Amino acid sequence: MKQTEMITVNNLTRFYKGMNIPAIDGLSFSITMGSFFGLLGPNGAGKTTTISILCGYLKATSGEIIMDGIDFSHQQQLVKKIIGVVPQDIALYPTLSALENLRFFGKMYGLKSKQLSEKIEYYLRLFGLENNSHRRVETFSGGMKRRVNLIAGILHAPKILFLDEPTVGIDVQSRTVIVDFLKQLNREGTTIIYTSHHMEEAEQLCSTVAIIDYGKIIAYGNPEELIAKNPECNTLENLFLYHTGRDLRD
Amino acid sequence: MLIRDKAGLAILFLMPMIMVLVITLVQDFAFQSIKENQIKLLLLDNDRDSLGIFIANGLKNSEYFVVTEKLNGKTPSDDAVHKAVAAGDYQIGIIIPAHATQVIRSHARAKITRIFMSLKINTPLPIVDDTDSVRLTVLFDPVIKSSFKNSILSTLDKFTSKIEAKVALGEFAYILAKMFNRPITNLHFDDMSIVQLNPSYAADSKWSIIPNSVQHNVPAWTMFAMFFLVIPLAGCIIKERDEGSLFRLMTMPGSYFKIFSGKIIVYLVVCIIQFLLMIAVGVFFLPILGLPQLVLGSNFAAMALIVLSSALAALGYGMATGVFFKTHQQAASFGSISVIIMAALGGVWVPVHFMPQVMQQVATYSPLNWGLNGFYDIFLRNTGVSGILPDAFKLLAFFAITSGIAYVVFLWKRR
Repeated sequence: MKQTEMITVNNLTRFYKGMNIPAIDGLSFSITMGSFFGLLGPNGAGKTTTISILCGYLKATSGEIIMDGIDFSHQQQLVKKIIGVVPQDIALYPTLSALENLRFFGKMYGLKSKQLSEKIEYYLRLFGLENNSHRRVETFSGGMKRRVNLIAGILHAPKILFLDEPTVGIDVQSRTVIVDFLKQLNREGTTIIYTSHHMEEAEQLCSTVAIIDYGKIIAYGNPEELIAKNPECNTLENLFLYHTGRDLRD
Repeated sequence: MLIRDKAGLAILFLMPMIMVLVITLVQDFAFQSIKENQIKLLLLDNDRDSLGIFIANGLKNSEYFVVTEKLNGKTPSDDAVHKAVAAGDYQIGIIIPAHATQVIRSHARAKITRIFMSLKINTPLPIVDDTDSVRLTVLFDPVIKSSFKNSILSTLDKFTSKIEAKVALGEFAYILAKMFNRPITNLHFDDMSIVQLNPSYAADSKWSIIPNSVQHNVPAWTMFAMFFLVIPLAGCIIKERDEGSLFRLMTMPGSYFKIFSGKIIVYLVVCIIQFLLMIAVGVFFLPILGLPQLVLGSNFAAMALIVLSSALAALGYGMATGVFFKTHQQAASFGSISVIIMAALGGVWVPVHFMPQVMQQVATYSPLNWGLNGFYDIFLRNTGVSGILPDAFKLLAFFAITSGIAYVVFLWKRR
């Protein structure tokens, strides 16, 4: 493995119970340290399955994952300390306040009280939530929930951050705040793995993308270079449609 | 999260307290001595002699019955007694036939005379006919339970046996007096009960707690409340899975065991609070309503062990339910129905010793029965830790099996 590679995935396959067709089928790719990696694909392509395996929620049927030089299958607990996850669903306790949610998840990451309080205060202010920190999350707007969802995944300053459609269903203001923050986080050295249906956003953010369909990678590389290789596609969205087709997906 | 769910907390804590209150009040009748719930009895004494008088006095003095001998100020006919009992105005009707005492007396005299004749001793009395029998009619309201019916019949049988013996002795004395031509005085047949029954409950000699509705219902509904935690616990697991919090937890450092044990600790605290509240109801609140006070026994270590093992058994079951089922509706339906069945089998509603033999055997497989037995041992028999160990062991084994299943299914579902 090259020194600069943060994640190496070899021949990753996952079958769901009772299914003959794999959700992901022999995926192999590598992600460079400090890169902003976009995992793109239509619905049911295998993006969430891939993220779920990479962050330890699901087990792979076969394949190998190396993260920051650590074999994921043997030292999962070590890997979990260096990754942060922002799931597609709002993975928060709705009846708890934003502050209580963040305290709980921060403590689960082993952060000490003083350090945790400082970080929570910093991020709540950064994301414009400081005046609503004592409100229950269930009373929040979609954008506010997404922002708390993001903070819960970055409190422990992970080396690798997984984001599964972090900007889905929110207003432009919230999206802008989140996207700007992710850019800053990436500039500071965090390796980001991100899935999205927003091709424009992905084109703007990602240094590398992998377009995945039916569990296989069908395009991989720098977005600009990929577009350049296909003269008929002038945007990432066109490239995406070129590779995945215009048929509706379930 | 639990603290925020006010309605959920009310269900967890208040509902069992209300249940124990209502059920104890309702069941108190069944557990009370009959004396406190006097039975209305209509007596028609056509005999007007020793048997009739003895039975009437016996029934009146027993304090079990409110004895009525007149309907609308008149002595009723046989038919009127039948109708009054059939109408439910009286639970019991007794008709003593005319000349009943005379028949008993004739029988006694005939038997005594035969005894003397077999000894070749002539008696001054002729042999009389002893082929008649006395048929006491005892009518029961159909709602009277068969066990109670049997006890009434047994009481009447005792009265008639006593009067038969008394009449026989009277006749014997009369014949002897005639034979020796000398009056026999100072004979008292009323205090002939030489053998006295001394009923008491087998327990520690210093401990004599009479089973009552409170001693049964408080532990019974405590067990039920603990096992009813299956629904919120399973709901919490499913909600956590559906809302994505579990996803986040599973991607954090720490073992699955930590996630499981965290829930068990929280709900264990809930169980203990439930238990303390139920005990408080039994000790402080029920006596205010005129019910007996709950007596706890003196073995608090045993009590702590049975509470913890019962709570763990309930929580293991809740974890397994939550992990196994996909939706909250499925888990809630299964959880509530299965707990109600286990409670019914385990003797929560009807104590096991009132059940048919087959059901008593089935009851031994219900975890609620194991816990309830443990509480009975402590509250009624003042048993120590060693006495409740078998039940505690069964509960802990149930916890180990159910939580083991939960853990395996949890891991299997992620494969």
